[in-house]
Amino acid sequence: MRKLPTICPSCNSRLKVKRLLCENCGTELEGVYELPALASLPAADQEFVLQFVKVSGSLKEMAKLLGLSYPTVRNRLDDVINRINELEKNRNNSTRKEEQNESGNSD
Amino acid sequence: MNQEIAIDKGAGKLQLGQWMFNPFQFIAGGKALFMGVVFILVTSILGSISNTHFDGVLDVHSGLAAPAWFFVAEGLIDWLSLAVVLALFGLLLRQLSFRMIDIFGTQALARWPHIITAIVALTPGYQRYSVYIANKVLKTGPAVTIYDTDILFFALGIIVLLCMAIWMVVLMYKAYSVSCNLKGAKAIFSFIAGLIIAEILSKLGIWWLFTTYVKPT
Repeated sequence: MRKLPTICPSCNSRLKVKRLLCENCGTELEGVYELPALASLPAADQEFVLQFVKVSGSLKEMAKLLGLSYPTVRNRLDDVINRINELEKNRNNSTRKEEQNESGNSD
Repeated sequence: MNQEIAIDKGAGKLQLGQWMFNPFQFIAGGKALFMGVVFILVTSILGSISNTHFDGVLDVHSGLAAPAWFFVAEGLIDWLSLAVVLALFGLLLRQLSFRMIDIFGTQALARWPHIITAIVALTPGYQRYSVYIANKVLKTGPAVTIYDTDILFFALGIIVLLCMAIWMVVLMYKAYSVSCNLKGAKAIFSFIAGLIIAEILSKLGIWWLFTTYVKPT
């Protein structure tokens, strides 16, 4: 499967989903959809989160799996948490801007 | 499998550079604490043989005879001074919690280059010349006969000693950075401040121990 692009190659802004397709019946949906926070993370972080869930959220097990020390794995997790917080903050800011623009246009 | 995870797994294998300058990516917690304390004890025992004192977080001095327990106490004071100060800085600066065993363990392990210093201090040429200098400066002890090559051994020893001290500081910083997940200017400046405070604390502690129990004044 091809890698899902999350960042615009032209201006580096976050991409949104415009079209969705049902492979079964061919129905297409068009609109502006936000990517979920986890899907917006870099692929490496997504893989890390996936592995972390698979080991029931045990940092010790993750450390064993990756052959790294406990604080190194915990730091990696903290970095992922920070990136998710940053994404959510940016998303909230852009939603607020959109709402302001919409209310400005309606006025 | 994802590429970065594959790289992480590869990092688990022996990579000399990472093992030399940031072994804490792979070792921390109880294992690092055990290894570090063993290294500190071995360093202290070697130091007691050659009368090499690790009398401060970064200090190495030769000369004065003292009971073996004092050399062990010096090593423990050096380690604990820095670990306690950096743990406090970590608590102040870090947003999320960290394990105390990681900072104490990795700081103990970071002192391992001192074993090499202690071994270098055991070489006869280095030992003779350092005793010669100590006796001359302190104006005590019997006259020591030195050989022409002793100064060469001493000079080489000093170079090794400096390299080990630099290496140890790098390891101490990495240990702090990994244990508390601190990076950038915040990590560097707090580490430097911690090192200075710990150096003063360790000097005071060792001086108190020396004047109270070893050589009362």
